[in-house]
Amino acid sequence: MSSRSFLPEPQYVLNFCTKYLARDNTDARHAFTDEAKGTLSGTIAEAWQFPIVDTYGGGAAAVANPKDFDRYNQVTFVFREPASSPAKSVGIIGTFQNLYEPEPLTRVPFGDEGTPFWAASFVIPKQQLHRYRFVVDGVVQNDPVNPQTLTLPTGKVWSRFFTQECAENLVLEDWEQNILSRMVEQMAPFRTQDGQRFLDQYYTYLDNSAKQTTFEHAYRFDESVGEVAFIDNILAREEHHRLVDYKICISLIKQVLRQRNPYEEPELISKEIYNSLYTEMATDKVDGWDTSKYQSPLFFLNLLRRHACTGAFSHPKYGGNSAGSGWAYLQERYTDPQSGNSLFQWRDAVEKPLGNSADYLG
Amino acid sequence: MKTDFDIVIIGSGAGGAPIAYEMAKAGKSVLVLEKGPLIRPQYQCANQRSSFKRDELISDGMEKRLTLPGLTNTGASFYSSHVEPDLNDEPHIYRAPDGSDRATIEGYTAQVVGGGTQHYGGVSLRYTPLDFRLQSFNAGRPSLPGDPGDDVKRNARDWPISYDDMEPYYCKAEKLVGLNGQQANQQKPFSQPDTYQPPLNPNPISQFAFKGMQALAAILDPSHPIEPYRTPLAVITRDHEPSNRKMPNPEEAKTSFVNRYGDPLGFKSSTWVALLSPVAGLANFEIRCNCVVTRLQSNGAKVDRVYYLDPGGKEQYVTGKIVVVACSAIESVRLLKLSGTLDSNFGNRINQNDLLGKYFLTNCFGGASALVPGRFDKSHSLDADWATDCCATQSFLESHRLWAGAAIYNNTSDQALPLSLLRTHFAEDLDSLWDGFIADTALRAQGLIDFLDQQFGRGLSVSFMANQLPQKDNRIELHPRITDKWNRPVAYIIKNWHPHDAYLMDTMAEQCGQVLKLGAGGDPTFLFLGQGSVKDSPLRIANHILGGARFGNDRSDTVLDKNCRAWDFDNLYVTDGAFMPTSGGANPTNTIEANSFRVADQLRSLI
Repeated sequence: MSSRSFLPEPQYVLNFCTKYLARDNTDARHAFTDEAKGTLSGTIAEAWQFPIVDTYGGGAAAVANPKDFDRYNQVTFVFREPASSPAKSVGIIGTFQNLYEPEPLTRVPFGDEGTPFWAASFVIPKQQLHRYRFVVDGVVQNDPVNPQTLTLPTGKVWSRFFTQECAENLVLEDWEQNILSRMVEQMAPFRTQDGQRFLDQYYTYLDNSAKQTTFEHAYRFDESVGEVAFIDNILAREEHHRLVDYKICISLIKQVLRQRNPYEEPELISKEIYNSLYTEMATDKVDGWDTSKYQSPLFFLNLLRRHACTGAFSHPKYGGNSAGSGWAYLQERYTDPQSGNSLFQWRDAVEKPLGNSADYLG
Repeated sequence: MKTDFDIVIIGSGAGGAPIAYEMAKAGKSVLVLEKGPLIRPQYQCANQRSSFKRDELISDGMEKRLTLPGLTNTGASFYSSHVEPDLNDEPHIYRAPDGSDRATIEGYTAQVVGGGTQHYGGVSLRYTPLDFRLQSFNAGRPSLPGDPGDDVKRNARDWPISYDDMEPYYCKAEKLVGLNGQQANQQKPFSQPDTYQPPLNPNPISQFAFKGMQALAAILDPSHPIEPYRTPLAVITRDHEPSNRKMPNPEEAKTSFVNRYGDPLGFKSSTWVALLSPVAGLANFEIRCNCVVTRLQSNGAKVDRVYYLDPGGKEQYVTGKIVVVACSAIESVRLLKLSGTLDSNFGNRINQNDLLGKYFLTNCFGGASALVPGRFDKSHSLDADWATDCCATQSFLESHRLWAGAAIYNNTSDQALPLSLLRTHFAEDLDSLWDGFIADTALRAQGLIDFLDQQFGRGLSVSFMANQLPQKDNRIELHPRITDKWNRPVAYIIKNWHPHDAYLMDTMAEQCGQVLKLGAGGDPTFLFLGQGSVKDSPLRIANHILGGARFGNDRSDTVLDKNCRAWDFDNLYVTDGAFMPTSGGANPTNTIEANSFRVADQLRSLI
């Protein structure tokens, strides 16, 4: 076992295995898109839960100092052996360790009995993207449960995962994210004058050392409060079934914008044109929208509104609300006129270093 | 693994844990089987990290879609908690009055060690003495509004035990579970003075509710106004000796991550931290988590095997001299019915009359809401601050022509956090989260800021929790078509409100509206938003799932005897909310726990 890997508590692993993996029914109950039908993950609840990416609280020799824990995730890999062919050994190879040196997974016990589940935990830095494969009785195979894959230039397909606050493009390309940013400006509060002023102040007020300590996790901070990074994150994992909506609609939006201003790149077109596009989408009638490709622009607009607001105010580990800036916006905006104290002291409940809870560790 | 036990308890929540605690302390060999995971608070984890998180996307998560075919909401989006069952794996199917079926998140008890006590807001009221004798109270009264056929007189039942019988067990439950609150002004007798830890200072926004409750009481009975009291809440505010829990800084307990959140710090008194964890180290106690019980097998009048699927899905069985079913009323009825279809002896005995699953109950509930002048940090509060019993007295029920009363309390932690404010905007229930926000396309840019300016830290709501009139047609069955992920038929919920329920809810919502209007004290900037109830939403269950196996002294009229034993079995008990013949005018958890302590006293002498 490497200095980065360790045995997770069996109870911890089984808490995920039974709810999501264990079942007799093999209908595609969890396939929300056509492409998911016919896959194993389409028969499993929340297949995206695997591997399990969680806060790190010790266990690996490589990162023993508690002061460093918040820079890492505990990533737990689970392999369920088929009932028809119990495994003799299960290992894992991946880019988070010496590639092609398999690390062992261990059979997860239940009391004094075994289970069909094998597991190992690794301490892996946050903000990273990795590929991996299982080695089952010497045969290399992808994780049959995790729907995320990565295709190498050679054409080989690997299983993939990313840790919290991942800054790399996961499923959306730069131009798609740029158009999305412009759309999000139309809905999330931070691009209004007030919001922008706040963001500018929040950003520039801090000296460099404060930026480094307080805002170590403020990746993509230039993109408002990271709503687009949030959307990229969840489309890669929790709401992967919505990726197809984004892919089609961003293309359609680009097409519409080109019609309205052929002289500028769509992501640079004036705010007024985005504003009128938003207004038309809200009425579900958009001039130039190809309804044969996507029937309802309003439906997509509402999906985007839900995602943008969720990204602005959900825990930063999901990729948005960079360094708590969405919460900080509310904290600054709402204060008691007499005492000057904020009326949303969110840091008290949230773990350090993001918040300042005395006891809660995340 | 060990297979023979003195007592096997199915379910680790309010109905099961008190019995497990008492029997383990008495030296009996105890096995608790729990379908859900064991999620420990930080201080019990080797790595100091709990799987309960202060994370708004853990209580109502990312979007999933309902794929089960043939339902009115097939294809709909849903957003469930990490400890609620997946709707596609184990749905509750509700039959609407028009005969159509829909899957619903309503009525789920959290599937986790501790059950609903992990997720609840912690409101831990007693029922009133009157709640235990609604049949006697209503006998001889003239017909009530909405009830020309006198269904109240026909269907109300006295409990086979009185408030006085239950009272010592209320004291026991309150002390062992760990509540904070105030006895004074409650319209229920207390035999012991020290059942609560002291309450924390209320959130300042609750002052309006307090004043309104005072003013309403003065109008209802000027000579003897019934004063408000601090809502009893299952959150410790001091070190709790029985469960060996520490409270370093009581203010830290104030967090809006309460209702629908497990507590990573263990301050909220779930049955795990309060009752099971203290006996978990005993050699005669065992809990097997992630184990779903699939059927009970009988031999004559004895349940002789309890079959369950282990965490990997392999079938196993255990035996118990006593078997207690306490996996929430809907799931307990389902387990008993499924067992009956697989074992004819079991079926004949559990169905010695036609009442199993019948008289299913929840609470009638509703309230009123307002936007108060000024703004408050609602993120530092517990779930409820003030409560009043002024609408639960005999004189109130007589003057308002109601069959039963209600507790009223103000919610404090609701909509305190930004995502909960947005996703519950015009949401009617857990099935319609985000729908109102999505429909309101004006909520963008400045429109969204205006909305936050108007709402954030300003919402105040007052709720009532009332008795629902029992009706035989309100029932739990097995669904003829839909199965869970183990291919077992799922629960089929058939329920509607009685016209007198609707009248009662209108009356109680009016009182809640009065509380807020009176609490405004004439301030024109106090914005009353409205009052209402679930009377037009027969599906609503409040996650208070009760009845379906009611107890009593007449075997032809009940499923269980007064000690919650199934009539034709020697060793089968049901102790979750299913035993209740009437639903009580308050949140039920404290009463379920007290009753389980009472049953445990009976069981201890049997084995």
